[in-house]
Amino acid sequence: MARKILVVDDDPYVVKYIVGVLETHGYQTCSASDGAQALEVLKREKPDMVTLDLEMPQEWGPRFYRKMTQIKEFEDIPVVVISGLSGIHHAIRNAVASMQKPFDPDKLLEIIGNTLSERENAAEDPAP
Amino acid sequence: MSESILLVDDEEGIRTVLGLSLAEDGYDVLTAVDGEDALRVFAAHAPAIVLTDIKMPGLSGLELLKRLKAADPEVEVIMITGHGDMELAIESLKNDATDFITKPINADALEIALKRAGERLAMRRRLKEHTENLERRVHEQAAKLLAAERALAARQVADGLSAGIRTLIATLGEEGGAFGDMPCFISITDRDGRIIAANQLHRERFGNRIGLDARALYAGDGPTPAATALASGRGHRENAVLLDKNGREIPVLVHTAPILNNDGEVELVLEVAVDVTAVRRLRDELKSTQARFRQLFDEAPCFIAVVNRDLRIAEANRHFKQGFASGPGANCYAAYMRRDSPCRDCPAVKTFDDGAPHHQETVVMTRDGQRRNVLVRTAPIIGESGEVELVMEMSLDITELRRLQDRLSSLGMLIGSTAHGIKGLLTALDGGIYRLGFGLDHNKKDWTEEGFADVRHLVGRIRKMVLDILYYAKKRELAWKRLSVAAFAAEVAALAAPKAAARGIVFETDIPADAGTFEADADTVSAGLVNILENAVDACTAERERGPGRITFAVRSLAAAVEFRITDTGIGMDRETQDRLFTLFFSSKGSSGTGIGLFVSNQVIQQHGGTIEVSSEEGKGSTFTVRLPRELPPEVKIRPDALPCPPGDPDGARAADAD
Repeated sequence: MARKILVVDDDPYVVKYIVGVLETHGYQTCSASDGAQALEVLKREKPDMVTLDLEMPQEWGPRFYRKMTQIKEFEDIPVVVISGLSGIHHAIRNAVASMQKPFDPDKLLEIIGNTLSERENAAEDPAP
Repeated sequence: MSESILLVDDEEGIRTVLGLSLAEDGYDVLTAVDGEDALRVFAAHAPAIVLTDIKMPGLSGLELLKRLKAADPEVEVIMITGHGDMELAIESLKNDATDFITKPINADALEIALKRAGERLAMRRRLKEHTENLERRVHEQAAKLLAAERALAARQVADGLSAGIRTLIATLGEEGGAFGDMPCFISITDRDGRIIAANQLHRERFGNRIGLDARALYAGDGPTPAATALASGRGHRENAVLLDKNGREIPVLVHTAPILNNDGEVELVLEVAVDVTAVRRLRDELKSTQARFRQLFDEAPCFIAVVNRDLRIAEANRHFKQGFASGPGANCYAAYMRRDSPCRDCPAVKTFDDGAPHHQETVVMTRDGQRRNVLVRTAPIIGESGEVELVMEMSLDITELRRLQDRLSSLGMLIGSTAHGIKGLLTALDGGIYRLGFGLDHNKKDWTEEGFADVRHLVGRIRKMVLDILYYAKKRELAWKRLSVAAFAAEVAALAAPKAAARGIVFETDIPADAGTFEADADTVSAGLVNILENAVDACTAERERGPGRITFAVRSLAAAVEFRITDTGIGMDRETQDRLFTLFFSSKGSSGTGIGLFVSNQVIQQHGGTIEVSSEEGKGSTFTVRLPRELPPEVKIRPDALPCPPGDPDGARAADAD
């Protein structure tokens, strides 16, 4: 079953880009243009992973992340931060990676691939 | 002199017979018929003797006697009594009647009584005469004595005075005398204006002037103080200028005192002149120092107000009065801020509290409504009690400094802000290229087309952003030409339409074909309007609850202007956003806003002599109304060929088209 990625960015072109990259590599996607909308999509689509922009008009990325991790069901969803802001590495501490725009799509695919397969392995071999 | 006698009897026979008899004896005889009548005659003629019957109808003889004696104690009253009237007769004597005779009247008895009355009268007159004489004599003697004493006293006074003056004159010139040490010029002038005595200091400074005219001592032509005192007879005080023996001027304060002779005429005039050179110099210095301070205070290149504890202005400099059309009496917060209560964190209040200087940066409003950034510094003014009585507020206008600083920090922000924006755009561009590449690689026409459209659009966005930045970095001259309103508006609409369409927003235009022409720099105005249109798209995108948004771009032809109205049904703006809308680097759009767009739009429109109005309601949408004049203001219409046009510069090429 194809993994589903939630793409959150306020720039529709960036959304289109990430979605394009992911879909051409066999991922399912869903998207949102700010934090509030992202929470709705999250609950509806239950994605396996999230790419998150930080600075958005309605609700910024970090706030969405806090809300998301407060929901038991979603607390462990891995997040990749993709932002134009510099010095973002501590914005979301538990993010699996932080990428600066413009980003390398291959690197993104690598991070997502590695993260999801690690999760799958962990799920298949639960720690004793 | 014959005595006058009043005969009072109610019997006419007695009056006639007795009257004739008395007249024969040499008396002036008056008669009265009763007591009342007798009083009237007595009042009119004042007879020396009254002869009255004791028994009369009406006023009785005894009563008449009492009245007469009350009127004149010296009148001699002889009573005529009948038989058996002895008690009345005695009663009469008790009341000071002269005598009484009985009826029928015996001529001898009458004569004796009259003689006695006559003697009494004579004696009384002599006594009176003697008394009056004595009094007169006493008066005469006393007056003589008084005159003698006065003469003596006057002589003594005159002797004393002249002795005093002699001493004065003698000692005035004495070296080390009473006047020698006095730090003033003392001289005595006679009636002819000649100096007859002068003290040592006088001689030292003016030379020996004894016997010379005092006039020569004074600069100027007016009467000398001595002449004035001589003329008026009174002492006085005046300012004068003396000339010393070297011809130098000595300003003095002169007191004069006239000295009178025995006839009360002014004989001499005493003059005491105090050298006020030092006093005047100090006063002049004080005055010029005060003037200098006032000038400094007024001309200091800052607003200065001195306030009391109520924050009421006690003193203000010229700068302040001119800048704020306010001055002493007003409250400083009313003058500076047009407030009706003290400002928050007022530094003057703090200085009143702790006596230390404080400062605060704030914005004040001048009389013509301009906002100025000022740095307010306060300083305590300590009164005699040691308490802070007043506080001086010095406000330095740092508007230009702030402007410069803002511009500098703007440049810093520009780098950060545009870097962020460019990063976003480059990412989006990467997306377009990725799509284009994928389409080409996998021969997917829809991906290729979409990717190419995105790339084209994003390159347009980057171009505009770069132009915005260049526009901000250097305010360029307008490359204007006359444009068709309809054609121009259609181009603007075409630039904005794709973005709206991409978001599913309805984009309507209302562009009349006959809107005429207007003068404008097509590139910059177009960029300015596209900025507003793109903001409308963003506002509609953010508003999702009410379904897809709608944007209207309407052009209206006015007489001397063209109106572009952009209406959206987006999220609208709160008051603060509206207020800061055209501020550089203000953005409500997170990462997708650079905060340059509307700033540039506003700049461009203002440079064209146009206006931009905004009305907005949160949750309903916004309307931007841009009015541009059909003819540019002359000051911005520089000749297009005067523009610096490097070869190959596309702007230069376009400018050349306008010729």
